Amino acid sequence: MSLAERLMDSSLMRRNNALRSFTVAAWLGWQIESNWADPFLFAIYSIARPVASVMILVVMYSVITNGALDQPIFAYVYLGNALYILVGQVITGVSWVVIDDREHYRVAKQLFTMPMNHALYLLGRGVARLLIGTISLIIVVGFGMIVYKIPISAATIDWPVFLASMALGITTLAALGLILGALTMMMARHFWVLGEAVAGALYLFCGAIFPLETLPAWLRVVGFAFPVTYWLEVTRRALLGPDAVGFPTLVWLSDKQLLLILVGSALLMVIGSMSFYRWAVYRAKDKGILDMETSY
Amino acid sequence: MLEGQIEQPFDVGSIEMAQQKGSELVMQPSLSIQTQNVGRIYKLHGPKKKDDAKEVIALKNVNLEVHHGELFGLLGPNGAGKTTLIKVLATLLLPTSGTASVTGYDVVKDVKQIRRAISMVSGGETSGYGLLTVEENLWMFARFYGLDTDTARRRIEMMLDVVGLTDRQRSKISDLSTGLRQKMNFVRGFISDPNVVFLDEPTLGLDVGAAREVRGFVKDWMREHPDRTILLTTHYMAEADELCDRVAIIDQGQVLACDTPENLKKRLRHEPIFTLKVGPLGPKPSHDGRIEAVPGVRQVRVDDVDGHVTLNLTLAAEDALSNVLAHISGRGSKLISLEKNEPTLEDVFVDMVGRSLTVDTSQHGGGQDE
Amino acid sequence: MNDEGRVRKATGFRLFWITLWARAYPRIVGTTREKSWIFFDTLLPVMGTTAYIFLYRALNAPPDYVGFVVVGGAMTAFWINVLWSMASQLYWDKDAGNLELYVLSPGPLMAILAGMSVGGLVMTGARAAAILTVCSLLFNVTYQINSLPMLVLVFVITMAALYGMGMVLASIFLATGREAWHLSNLLQEPIYLASGFYFPIKAMGFWVATAASILPLTLGLDAIRQLLFAAGPSLGFLSVKAELAILSVLAVVFIAGAYVSLYKMEEIGRRQGRLIERRR
Repeated sequence: MSLAERLMDSSLMRRNNALRSFTVAAWLGWQIESNWADPFLFAIYSIARPVASVMILVVMYSVITNGALDQPIFAYVYLGNALYILVGQVITGVSWVVIDDREHYRVAKQLFTMPMNHALYLLGRGVARLLIGTISLIIVVGFGMIVYKIPISAATIDWPVFLASMALGITTLAALGLILGALTMMMARHFWVLGEAVAGALYLFCGAIFPLETLPAWLRVVGFAFPVTYWLEVTRRALLGPDAVGFPTLVWLSDKQLLLILVGSALLMVIGSMSFYRWAVYRAKDKGILDMETSY
Repeated sequence: MLEGQIEQPFDVGSIEMAQQKGSELVMQPSLSIQTQNVGRIYKLHGPKKKDDAKEVIALKNVNLEVHHGELFGLLGPNGAGKTTLIKVLATLLLPTSGTASVTGYDVVKDVKQIRRAISMVSGGETSGYGLLTVEENLWMFARFYGLDTDTARRRIEMMLDVVGLTDRQRSKISDLSTGLRQKMNFVRGFISDPNVVFLDEPTLGLDVGAAREVRGFVKDWMREHPDRTILLTTHYMAEADELCDRVAIIDQGQVLACDTPENLKKRLRHEPIFTLKVGPLGPKPSHDGRIEAVPGVRQVRVDDVDGHVTLNLTLAAEDALSNVLAHISGRGSKLISLEKNEPTLEDVFVDMVGRSLTVDTSQHGGGQDE
Repeated sequence: MNDEGRVRKATGFRLFWITLWARAYPRIVGTTREKSWIFFDTLLPVMGTTAYIFLYRALNAPPDYVGFVVVGGAMTAFWINVLWSMASQLYWDKDAGNLELYVLSPGPLMAILAGMSVGGLVMTGARAAAILTVCSLLFNVTYQINSLPMLVLVFVITMAALYGMGMVLASIFLATGREAWHLSNLLQEPIYLASGFYFPIKAMGFWVATAASILPLTLGLDAIRQLLFAAGPSLGFLSVKAELAILSVLAVVFIAGAYVSLYKMEEIGRRQGRLIERRR
C-alpha cells in the first residue's frame, strides 16, 4: 500500500467526508494528469507552454523597446505574466473536471449518487493542475532570473506577505474555478476550454502586463473589482522587494491594505462560489442535464 | 473487461506470412462468412510501461461457415471471444493467424469491398452526436454509406416507424433514454441496406417489448431478401433459439459446437432432464454422499430458493430417477414437485462447457470487451 | 447476387463528397443549437486579443502593430479550432464510439476529416470575423489592402495547409496517447510564439523564422499582414509570392501526409486493437 493510499485509508479520512472527498479527488487528479505514456512529454508540457507564453511577451516588449529588457518595469511585466500562469491552471483545473467526468469518463451520474462533498471533489481534482502550474511558475521565474536578470533574491523577498498572498490568491482562484465548474454544468462541451477562455479574457483587466491606466476608465472598473489585480500587485511587491519599480495603479495601497482586500475578496468568492455551485447543481438536476453528453 | 493497454504482438508482415504458410482460404460463393483457423492474441500491459506484457488468447483456430440467407448465432459467456470475432470479420481488427472472408472478400486485404456490404450494431453503443436529432444522426450515417438524401429520409422514416421511434424523430439524442438510443443504433445498422449485419448483443438494455419488436424486425428483414446474412451474438438463449438458423457455441476463444439449435438440443435429448423441487437437504454430505455421486446422474445444478431446493438433473436414463428419489429421502428431504424438461440451449452449453453461461471467462483468456 | 429492390449507394468521388458534407453538418448545425459559444467564443477571445493591444499601447508602439495583433488575434481562432476540434477530434470520436463506425463505413476517413475541417472553418470564420470587426472598430485599425485577389488566395492556401496539418495531427494524437487534450494544450502557446501571432515573425530572427515556417500560419499571417498594412511589407519576412509558393507546397505535403497518416493509423488500430475502439 502506498503512502497516499495509507493516508486515505486512515480513520480520520473515513470519518471526515469533506476531507476524504478532497484528498481522494486530489489523488485521482494527479493519477489522471500524470498518466502520460511518456514522462518526457509530461515534463515538456509543464515547461513549454508557460515559457512560450512568457516569450511572446518578451518578444513583443523587445520589438518595441529595441531589446531594453534591463528596464526595472520589465521585471514587473515579466512577473505579472509568470504569476498569471496559475490563474489559467487553477481555474481550468477545477472547472474542466465537470466536462471530463461527464463526457469523457462518464461518471457524473455515479459521483452524484456518492456520499461525498462534490464541490470539494472538484477543488481536489484541481490540485494536480495547481502543482503543475506551480512547477511551471518556478521554472519561468528561474528562467527570468537567469536569462533576463529579474532582480529576485531569497534574502529580499518579503516571505510572510508572499506566502499570505499566495494562499489567498489560490483560494480566490479555486473559488473562481468552482464558479466556472458550476457554469460548465449547464453548458455543452465546446472545443475550447472555458477556464482557459476566461483566464485569457481576464488577462486584460488585472494589470498583469500593463498598468490599468492604459485601459479606458470604464474598463478599469472591472480591473479594480477583480481580486487577481490585488493579488498580482502584492505578490510582485513581495518578490521584488521595496526598491521595485511597479505600475502606478495601486501605489496608494500598502501591502497590508492589499492583503486585507484579498482576505475580504477571498471570503466573498468562497461563499459566493459555494452558493452558486449549489444552485447550479440544483438547476442541472431540475433540467436533467447533470449527466448529459453533448458533442457536435 | 480486461484492463490495461492492449497491444498485438505481431505485425502485419507476420500475419501475411502466416497466411502464406497456412492453407489459403478457398472462397466458396455460397458462403457469406467463412473463417479458417482464425486466431487472435492480445498483449496486456500493466499500468506501467515496464510491466511485463501478458498474452491473452482471444480466439483460437476458429472455423466457421455461414451461408447467404442465414441468421447465425454466436453463443458464449462474457469474454468468450464473440466480440473479437465480430471485429475481425467487420475489418476492425486483424487476425493474428488464419484467414477469414465476408461476402467472398478477404478481411485483411479487401477492406473496402467488405465495408460497402456490412454494418454493425453493438449493445450499449453511445455513438452519434448529442446535439443532433435522431433523424439528423441517422441521416449523417446514411450519407457515409453513400445513400442520397431522399432515400435516406425515406428509409429513416420507415425504420423509425418499425421500432416505434417516430415520435422522437426530432429529439436530440442526448435526450434519449438508454433503450431509445439503442433502438436508434439498431436503425442505424440497417439504414444502409447492408448484405451482412453483425449484431453484437443488440437487445442489451431493451425492455421485453422493445426486444420483441427488434427480433420481429430481424426476422422480417431476413425474409425480405435471400442474400442477407446476420451474425448475432447474444447472452439470451431464448433469443438465439427463436432467431438463429444455426448456432456456434464459443468458449475461451474456441468454437465448441456448431449446428442448428434443434440438432444441438437433440444431442441432449437422449438424456432425460428433470427439475425437482424438494425440501431442505440437510447438512452437506461428504463427496461420495452428494447427488452427483448417485448412479445414473450425469449433471446436476442445485439452487436454494425460498426454503426449498431446486435440482436440475441430467440423467443417463429415466430409471436413474428412482435412485435420486431414494437419495433425497435418505437425506431426510421430501419431494415437492417433479417436472420433465426438454433441453434448452442453456443446457447444451452447460453440458459442453461444464458451467453456466453467466460465468465470465475473460480472466481465463477469452476475448476482450464483452 | 440479386440486387432487386436494394438501395443505390454512391461510390468514388461522390461518396467522398457526400461524406464530407455529412460530417460538416453537425459542426455547422451544432453551433445553432447551443448558443453559449457566441459569448465565450467571440467575446472572450476579443478580450484576450485586446490585452496585447493595450500592452503595445502602454509601450507606445507604432499604430500598425495594433493592426498586427488584431489580425493575429483573429487568426488564433483558426489555430485553436485546428487544435481542439481537428487534432483532438478523432480522439473524442473514439471516446464516443463514433470512430469505430467511421472506420467501418465505406465513407473515406479522409472525407470525414475534411468534413470536420469545412464545418470548423465555417464556424471559426464567424469567430475570426467577429474578432477582426470588433477590434478594428474599437482601435481604429487602418487597413491598406494592396491586392484583394492575392489576399483571398493567400488566405485560402493558408487554410488548406493549416487544416491539412490538423488532419495529420488528428492521426498523430490518436496514435500517441490517451490524453490528446494534453497535446493540444502543449501546442497552443508555443505556436502562438513561433507563428508570430502578436508580432512580426521577422523579429524572431532569420533562422527561427525559417524553422517556424513549417507552420502554415507563420507565413500565412506574415503574407496577410504584408497585404493589409502600410508597414506590412517593411516588416515582412519573405516576399508575398515566395510565402505563397511555400504555403502551396505545405498544403500539398500536409494533405498528402494526412492521407498517409490516416492509413497508418487505421492499420495500427486494426493490428493492435486499441486505437479505434473506445477505452477509458
